Amino acid sequence: MADCQETLNELESYLDSELSEGRATEIIAHLKGCTDCQGAYEFHADLRTAIKTKASNEELPEGFLDRLRDCLGDDVLGAQ
Amino acid sequence: MGAREDFTNDAMQYAPQLFATALRMTRNKADAEDLVQETFLKGWRAFDSYQQGTNLRAWLFRIMTNTFINKYNSQQRRPQETELDEVEELFLFRRMGAFDQSKMSQSAEDQMLELFTDDEVKNAIEELPETFRIPVLLSDVEGFSYKEIAEMLEVPIGTVMSRLHRGRKAMQKMLYEYAKERGLVDESLLDPQD
Repeated sequence: MADCQETLNELESYLDSELSEGRATEIIAHLKGCTDCQGAYEFHADLRTAIKTKASNEELPEGFLDRLRDCLGDDVLGAQ
Repeated sequence: MGAREDFTNDAMQYAPQLFATALRMTRNKADAEDLVQETFLKGWRAFDSYQQGTNLRAWLFRIMTNTFINKYNSQQRRPQETELDEVEELFLFRRMGAFDQSKMSQSAEDQMLELFTDDEVKNAIEELPETFRIPVLLSDVEGFSYKEIAEMLEVPIGTVMSRLHRGRKAMQKMLYEYAKERGLVDESLLDPQD
């Protein structure tokens, strides 16, 4: 089973879903029994969610999709 | 023509995501729109080389990332910084005790969503040197795997991991500084041993 130091070191890869299944199981087992590491895990998971939500919250400029279609349309005509 | 029409229809669904990432890359709406248009044109022209059934989204992001690096990096608008200050591990987590609880909501998840504004998160990403900003965007915002990012950037997976690690820590430090500027932090509450 993973200890605290190993768990904290590998937290990032675990959150990225990049650990092997076996290693992820060991990390999960440690998290279940360790309030401190569980707290660190939840903190970083929540931070990830906040970053993803806030950074992808972007309004498209007006007419953006039309201009995009138009530029492809011009290229289609140009190619013929 | 059929396949090309399919491309336009299929690719268009990713335009908003591509634009949001392009904006974080270029930090400018006009440049971001140009970058997405160029990505679509390149994708359209290279569609013969796209293998049907493979990941169209990853293919488009790869084209966009390469286009950005080749086009904007060569212009040297900002000197490329390869160094980033070392930030201690778990930087933000270790400082959560300094946040003024009375200004925060009850649920931990909502707390994090409320703690930083959209602009602060966007600025923290945009302030990262490009070497770190692109992997952070592709992973944290777009959810690509280390392998996909390594392929897009044409660097080893270990390099992706180390850039992500350092970039994320630097971002946490910036978010903490923003919170401090907004008066959300009382550093006297921090345990001096931390």
